[in-house]
Amino acid sequence: MMLAVNLTPILQGLYMSLLKLNQYTLNQFLDAPFIGLDNYRRILFEGHSPIRAGLGFALRNTLLYTLVVSIAAIVIGLAVAVLLNRDFPAKGVARTLLLLPWIVPSYVVGSLWGFMWQRDVGIVNVVLVDYLHLLDEKPFWLLGANSFWAIVIPTVWRAWPVMMLLFLAALQAVPEDQYEAATLDGVSKWGQFWHITLPILKPVIVIQFMFQFIDNVYSYNIVSMMFGGGYPGEWADLLMPLLTRQSFSYWMFGQGAAVSFIMMTLMLIFVAVWMRSFKRSLANDE
Amino acid sequence: MICSPKNIKKLSKPGKLKLFLLSLTLALTAPALQASELNIWVMATTEQQQSDMKELLRPYLAKNPSLRVNVTVLQWESAWTKITAAAASGQGPDLLELGTTWVAAISSMGALEQISDAQQASVGGAKAFFPAVWSSTHRYDEQKIYAIPWYAEARAAFYRTDVFKAAGINPRDAFANWGSFKQAMQKINGQVINGKKIAALGYPGKNDMSVVHNLAPWIWNAGGDLLSADKKKSTINSPEALQAINYYTSFAVEGLVPMASLEKDSAQIDTGFFNGQYAVIFTGPWILKPLSTPKSKGGQLESVTANNFSVAPYPAGLKGQQTFFAGSDLAIMKSSKNKEESWKLLSYLVSREAQVNYTKMSWMLPTRIDAAYDPSLMANLHYAEFVGQIKNGRHYPSISAWGPLESVYLKNIGSMFDIVAGVKGKYSNLAIKQALDATAKEANEVLAELQ
Repeated sequence: MMLAVNLTPILQGLYMSLLKLNQYTLNQFLDAPFIGLDNYRRILFEGHSPIRAGLGFALRNTLLYTLVVSIAAIVIGLAVAVLLNRDFPAKGVARTLLLLPWIVPSYVVGSLWGFMWQRDVGIVNVVLVDYLHLLDEKPFWLLGANSFWAIVIPTVWRAWPVMMLLFLAALQAVPEDQYEAATLDGVSKWGQFWHITLPILKPVIVIQFMFQFIDNVYSYNIVSMMFGGGYPGEWADLLMPLLTRQSFSYWMFGQGAAVSFIMMTLMLIFVAVWMRSFKRSLANDE
Repeated sequence: MICSPKNIKKLSKPGKLKLFLLSLTLALTAPALQASELNIWVMATTEQQQSDMKELLRPYLAKNPSLRVNVTVLQWESAWTKITAAAASGQGPDLLELGTTWVAAISSMGALEQISDAQQASVGGAKAFFPAVWSSTHRYDEQKIYAIPWYAEARAAFYRTDVFKAAGINPRDAFANWGSFKQAMQKINGQVINGKKIAALGYPGKNDMSVVHNLAPWIWNAGGDLLSADKKKSTINSPEALQAINYYTSFAVEGLVPMASLEKDSAQIDTGFFNGQYAVIFTGPWILKPLSTPKSKGGQLESVTANNFSVAPYPAGLKGQQTFFAGSDLAIMKSSKNKEESWKLLSYLVSREAQVNYTKMSWMLPTRIDAAYDPSLMANLHYAEFVGQIKNGRHYPSISAWGPLESVYLKNIGSMFDIVAGVKGKYSNLAIKQALDATAKEANEVLAELQ
C-alpha cells in the first residue's frame, strides 16, 4: 500500500513527461498527445528549445549554492555547537536565541532579506559602508553577480541553527571520560576536537550533509520571495524557480515534468552513492 | 399536529380542498424558495477584499435573500495556477475573475461559458465599455465573447507640481513629447525641496512583475509593438522597440533615475513618490487611495506629495501618445451548475452602481464608460485628471499564448536591467540590442511551441 502511495505520483509524473502538455491540452490531462521521449530530446539535445534557455546558469548556480550553503551551515553549526557545549552563564538563553533564525519561515526570510539587501537603505550596506567603512560605495546585492551571495547568506543564516541543535544533541552522547583521558595525556583542545569529537560526529555530519544537499537543490522560497516573483537573474536563478517558470509561466507542463524527472533521477543517483559512502564510513568506525 | 392523518379525516370537504391547494402551492413554490448558492473567485485587489466584497454584494443580496454567495479571495501571485487547475479539471467556482490578459487562454481551454448577444446587450454591449478592455473579452481572431470587463487599471504620469514650479517648468510643455520630457527631467533632477534633494524620475527595474506594462506605452508610442501583426512573431527587437527601450533606459544611465530604484518593485517606487524621492513616476490609479486617505487610517493625505501633485499623460513619441490599459474581467465557468444565477450576479457586478461602489473601495477604474464619468467619482479632482489621460488606453493583443509570451519578456527584459545598472558589462545600445535579440529568439520559440 505504502509503495503504491509513493509510486503513483512518480509514475504519473513520468507519464506526463511523455505528453505534449500545454494550455491547450491540459484539460485532457493524461489523454494529451503522447510524444514519447521528445520532451527529453528537446531538453537534452536541442540547444535552442525554450526550456534550455537559462538551464546552464540554473544548474551552475544550484550546484554552487547547494555546496556553499550545505558546507557553511554544517561548519558554522558545528563550531557553535562545540562552543555552546561548554558551561557558561545563561547557556539556555543563548541556545534559544541562536535558534531564532530557524523559526522564521523561509518565505519571510526571503522577503526580509530582500529589504536588507537594498542598495540605498538596506541595513547590510548601511552597516558595511556607513558604519564600518569597509567599502567606498554601496554595492548592488540584488542585481548582478552579488545576487548569488544575496541568496546564499540568508539560506545559511536560516540553516545553521538547526545544524547546531543536532550537533549539540550528538555532542551530549560523547563520553566525557574520553576527553578527560586525552587531557591527562596532554592533548590540546584542537587535538581533542580533531581526534575525538569529529570521528564520533562523522555519521551525523554525513547524514546532515545529505539532507542539506537535497533540501538546497530543491530550494525555491527564498529566491522567489527575494526577487518579488520576477527573474532573479543569471547569478541567482536556481533549478526550482526555473522549473516553475517553464511549467507554470511558459505553460510547458510536459517539459516541466521531464526536467523534474531528470532532477529526481540525478538526486536518486546522488543518494544511492551517498548511502554507499555512508555505509562504508560506518563500517570503518566499527 | 394539525396535519396528522387523524385530524385530516376530521376536516370538512372544503377544508380538505383548501389543505390540498395549500400543499400543492407549497410543492410548486418550494424550488423557488430553496436557497441558491454561488461560488465566486476574485483576486485580492483591495486591502480587505473579503469584507469589501461583502459590502459590494450587500445591495444585491438584500434583493435576493434566498441567494448565498461564497467569495474566495485568491492572491494574484498564485491565482493563475489555481485558475488553470480549475479550468483543466472543471472543478471550479461558478463565477470567476480573470486578469484581462488571461481570458483568451482560459477560453481556449474550453473552460468558459460563452456570453450570448442578448446577455451582452443586457449589460450595454461593447459600446458601454472602454474599447481597450472590451478587446480582452474575446480572442483577437474570433467574435465569441467569454467575459465582461469588471474593473480596469491604466498608467499615467504623476508629478510634483511644487517641484515643477520651483524648476520653472510648465508641465503641459514637459509632457508634450519625448524631447521636452527629457529636457524637463534634466532641469528638475536634483532640485532641493524642503532641504531634500529630489530625483527627476523613479521607475522600477528588474525585480518587478510590471516590467512589461511599464515599457509597453513607450514602445507603442515609438511605433513599435510587442507582437507582429499576424501575432506569430515577437517584435520586441524591432528598431522602434529598441529606440523606445534606449530612450527609457537612458534616464537611468544619465542619472535622472536613481540607480537604486532599478532593484525596487512598483510598490516601492510608489512609496518613494509619497516620501518625496521622485518628482515624476508612471503608475496606476491605486495611488489615489493613499494620497486621499489620512495618516491616521494608514494614508498619505497630510504628506507634501499629497498636497502638491497632479496627473499628466505619457509624453508623445513619434507615433503616438498611448497608455497601458488592462484590468479584470468576470466570466462564468462552463462547469457551473447555476449559470442563470451566475449571470445575474455578474450583470450586477458590472453594473454602473456596483462599478462606482467598487472604485470607491479600490480606486481601480470602472470599465463602463458611464461609471467612469459618474459625478460622485469625478468630484475627486485627481481622479478626474486621471480619467482624462486614459482615452488613448491600449491593451495587449488578446492571444491565448499571451501569458507565456509576457513571462519571456518579464524574464529577459528584467535581466536587461543588470546592463542598465552597470553590473553586467558596459551599457551600450549594442548591448541592449543583443539582449532584445535574445529575448525575441526565446519568445519566438515559445510562440512556436504553443501555436
